[in-house]
Amino acid sequence: MKNRIQYILTLIIFLILQIIWFNHIRIFGHYSPIVFVYPLLILPLQKNDSLNLLLAFTSGLLLDLVSNTGGVFAATAVFITYFRKIYFFISKNPAQNIDEIRINKLSLQQKILYFGIFSLMTQILIYSFDAFNIGLVLSKWAFILINSLITLFFIILFDVIFFNSVKK
Amino acid sequence: MIKLLRYLSSKQSLLLFVFLELISLILIIKTHDYARLKTHSFQTAMAGKINRQINMVNRHFYLQSYNDSLLTQNARLLQLLQENRQNPITLPDILPEQFQYIPAYVISNQYNLRHNTILINKGEKDSVKPDYGVITPNGIAGVVQKTSSHYAKLISILNKSLKINVALKNTNYTGFLQWPGNDPNRFEVIDLPVNAPIKEGDTIITGGMSGIFPKGIPVGQITGFEPVPGRKSYVIYINSFSDMTNLGPVFVVKNKFKSEIDSLKHS
Repeated sequence: MKNRIQYILTLIIFLILQIIWFNHIRIFGHYSPIVFVYPLLILPLQKNDSLNLLLAFTSGLLLDLVSNTGGVFAATAVFITYFRKIYFFISKNPAQNIDEIRINKLSLQQKILYFGIFSLMTQILIYSFDAFNIGLVLSKWAFILINSLITLFFIILFDVIFFNSVKK
Repeated sequence: MIKLLRYLSSKQSLLLFVFLELISLILIIKTHDYARLKTHSFQTAMAGKINRQINMVNRHFYLQSYNDSLLTQNARLLQLLQENRQNPITLPDILPEQFQYIPAYVISNQYNLRHNTILINKGEKDSVKPDYGVITPNGIAGVVQKTSSHYAKLISILNKSLKINVALKNTNYTGFLQWPGNDPNRFEVIDLPVNAPIKEGDTIITGGMSGIFPKGIPVGQITGFEPVPGRKSYVIYINSFSDMTNLGPVFVVKNKFKSEIDSLKHS
């Protein structure tokens, strides 16, 4: 329960960061990292992740409300929260139970791969839900890729700062 | 029945996932459907209040660039004033009071999505209404989509669903401005007839036919053009005069006779 409250607080902090700062910065003139997904990616993995899905939906919807984007961020947040379970189901050791996986115990390479895949997925989903046209999304591949890499950089930075300090 | 309930409870996460995605998709479709966007003023008001606080801090970092763009606009207006003194316009059909300008500030500006929107700090209480145009000191920004008491949400010109009537400067050839969806400062003009005397470097201005923007507001400069196969028109590529990633002061354009013109058009 204490852990759950910690995760919710992290989620609120990252939402505020996204709304106040990351929505307004322009790295190299164009790129705005989407960092509000970081707390969703570090939520504990569970077989029944209904609470995680509700948390993701609420945080996405709050961001949509501020950004005037309908349900783009809510749909993206719910999608990545559900599909990370599938990601770990595929990548885990067959003998291992999904509940036993601890994201803070992953190696740096595993974390870069995990956060990298989901940063890219976040960008692709945001543009897909916004455009509703795969052709249009593909035509923006360079932007999506660079924005994903910048998002990944910030996520790894936050992970090193927060997670490592928490572990100590 | 019990088996069904047991099966459904085992798939609780999947069902919740589908349900939440459906709600999100309905919200997205509702937001993107231009024809159905009439209310939602609560969302506009909420977004406006939050973004106004953020913008009050952020706008100080961009004061220099806002000042530069306002100085450029002043210089252009002084030039026009001088030209008008030398060759005064005396045509009786010019209506100098047709358009009123309401100064406003951009408090939130999207440019990374396909259906981008802008929030400004003026709303119904300042006489801002849907379908009013919004211009920047250097060009055009968008069209008011919906309003709350103190804020208005615009469809940015960086929005795939918006087409704006434009013309080739010093001619009466008109077409439609649209955003291809990639670079926030590059646009296309479609449906401009092939007999129009186009060359690179020419200026595209607002056409004034929709009544949303007055005629003659500079929009952008032609960087290239090509005929559309099978059609007697060009597609023209332009660079926008407004930096759409850095919007500050804007002016809402109120056409006093728009409803009169629209009622005649639709009669």
